[in-house]
Amino acid sequence: MNKRLQVLIVDDEELARRLSLEYLRSHPDIEVIGECETGLEAVDAISKLNPDMVLLDIQMPQLSGLEVLEITGRRSGVIFTTAYDQYALKAFDLHAVDYLLKPFSQQRFDDALTKARKLLAQETSSSTQAIETLLTQQSEKLQRLLIRDRGQVHVVPLASIDYVEAQDDYILIHAAGKSHMKTQSLSELEAQLDASKFVRVHRSFLLQLNALQAIEKTSKDSQVAVLKNGAQVPVSRAGYERIKALLN
Amino acid sequence: MHPILSDRRRFLVYITAWMLTGVLIARLLVAADLANWSFAMVFSLPLALFGGFLTSSAYFVCRSLPFNRRSFSLAALIFASASMISGISWLGLCYGWNKVLVLALDEVEVLHMSSHLSVLFFITGFAVYLLALLAFDVYIAFDNIREADRREAASRLLARDAELQVLRSQIDPHFLFNSLNSISALTAIDAVAARTMTIALADFFRQTLAIAEKEKISLKDELRLCENFLAVEKIRFGKKLGIEFEVTIEAETALIPPMILQPLLENAIKHGIRNLPKGGIIKVTIFQRDCWLHIAVENPVSSAPGNSTGNGLGLNNLRQRFFALYGEQARVSWQRTDEKFVLEMTLPFEHNIHE
Repeated sequence: MNKRLQVLIVDDEELARRLSLEYLRSHPDIEVIGECETGLEAVDAISKLNPDMVLLDIQMPQLSGLEVLEITGRRSGVIFTTAYDQYALKAFDLHAVDYLLKPFSQQRFDDALTKARKLLAQETSSSTQAIETLLTQQSEKLQRLLIRDRGQVHVVPLASIDYVEAQDDYILIHAAGKSHMKTQSLSELEAQLDASKFVRVHRSFLLQLNALQAIEKTSKDSQVAVLKNGAQVPVSRAGYERIKALLN
Repeated sequence: MHPILSDRRRFLVYITAWMLTGVLIARLLVAADLANWSFAMVFSLPLALFGGFLTSSAYFVCRSLPFNRRSFSLAALIFASASMISGISWLGLCYGWNKVLVLALDEVEVLHMSSHLSVLFFITGFAVYLLALLAFDVYIAFDNIREADRREAASRLLARDAELQVLRSQIDPHFLFNSLNSISALTAIDAVAARTMTIALADFFRQTLAIAEKEKISLKDELRLCENFLAVEKIRFGKKLGIEFEVTIEAETALIPPMILQPLLENAIKHGIRNLPKGGIIKVTIFQRDCWLHIAVENPVSSAPGNSTGNGLGLNNLRQRFFALYGEQARVSWQRTDEKFVLEMTLPFEHNIHE
C-alpha cells in the first residue's frame, strides 16, 4: 500500500473515541486525521478533509450519524458504531451495511476495517448503494429538513415550514419568516413529506396546510392561496382540486 | 348455583316463609268457613311445601333465558306458559290432596271444591309463580351487574400492574451499552476508573432490581439510585455534566413510587446536557409543604431544535403512572423555554412512621 488510509472518528463520548484510537494503534497503515464530538463538526470535517474512512456513531445530539451522511452526501467508507438502535440495526441488516455494536472487540473492529478496505478498493462499492437506500428509507419518517448553507447547517422543523418554492435547479424553503435554499427538486421533497399536510398547489409551489389562511379568487379561473403570515402563493387549477380534496 | 337451594340459611328462611303462607291459607279457609282448623292445616301445609319447591324452579326458567339473547315476546310467552303450568299443577294438586285426605281421614267436614275456590287456587299458583319469575329475573340482573363490576375492577388492576411492570423495566439500553463501552475503553487508559465505573453500574442495576418490586420507596433510596446513575454518567460525560441537589431533610423520609426521579435525570442528560457543547448543570429541588411533596428538575437545553427532543412519551407515562397510583391527587407539569426545561411534580406527602 503506497498511501496511508485516512480515518475520521465521530462520537460524542470521549471514551468511545479513545477506544477506537486504541484499536487503531495496531493498524500502522491507518492515520487518524481528526476526531469529532458532534454531528455538525463531522459535517465540516468530512467536507474539508474528505477522509477515506469514517467511524460514525449514530446516536449523537443535534445531528445523528445518518443525518451527517444525508447532508454531506458521503456514502463510501463508512463504518457505523452504535450502542443500541433497533430501527437502524434492522435497516443495516437489510442492506448489508457494516456496523459495530458497542462495546466491540478488537477482533470485530479489525474485521470491519478489513471489510471496509476491500469495499474501498472496488470502483463502485456496493455499500454506496446500500447506504443510499438506507437513507431514503430513513427519511421517510422525516421530522425536519437539514439545509447546508455556506458551511453552516440549518435545521428546519417541518412544522415551521409555510411553503416551498421551486427555482431553476434548487428550492426555496420559506419557514418561520426565513428562506433557505436547498439543492433538491420540489418533487423529491414532496415525496418525502406527509401528503396529508403538504400539498402541491402549483407546478412550482408546495404549501403546508396548517399555514393556509384562505383561498381567494383573483380572476375568473385563477386562484391564490393566502397564508397566515400574509404571503400569497399561486394556485393552479389542478392544485385547487388537490387542496379541495384534502380540506374535505 | 341455585341462589336458594344451594344456601342453607336462605333455604330455611324460604321454607319458613312458605310454611307461614300455608298457615295463612288455612286461616283464610277457616275464616271463609270452608273447613275446620285441623283439616285446613293438614290440607294447606304440605301444599305450601310443594308450592315452595315448584316456585323455586322459576330460577332455572330465568337462567335459561339470558338477558342479552332474549326477545321480549318470547320471554313473555315462556313466562306466561310457565306460570300457567304452575297454576294448573297447583290446582290439580289441591284437588288430589283433598281427595286423598277425604279417603284417608274419613272426615265429615271435607273441603268442598267449588268452582269459585278452584279459580282462586289457580290464580294463586299462577300469580305466585309469575312473581317468582320476576323476582329471580331481577336477582340475576343484579348478579350480572355485580359480576361485571368485579371483572372490570379485576381487569383494571391487572392492566395497572402490567403497566407498572412495563414502566419499571424502561431502563434505557443505550445507557447500558454505552456504559459498557466506556468501561471497555477505560480498561486500557485508567484501570481504577474502569473498576469504579463497573461497581457504580452494578450498584445501579442491583438497586433498580431491588426497588422495582416495591410499590413505594423512600426518597432517600431513590436519591441513592440517582447517585449511582450519575456516577456512571459523570464518567461518560466528564465535566459536561454538573448536578445540584437541594433536598430538605424531612422530604428525604417521603415515600414515593420507585424510579420517578432517575428517568427524569436520564432525560435531562439525553435531551439537555448532551446537546450542549459546554454541558450544563441539572438542578433538583425537593421539599415538603403542608401535606404535599414538591419535586422540580431543571436543566439547560440547546436553543437549536435537536434530533433528540423526544416526544413527551416518557413524561406522559409518568403522568399515567401517577394517575394509576394517586388518581387526581398528583400533578406533573413541564415547560420548555429557549434555554431551559423545567419539570415540576406534586404528590401527596406520605412517609414511613418507622423511620
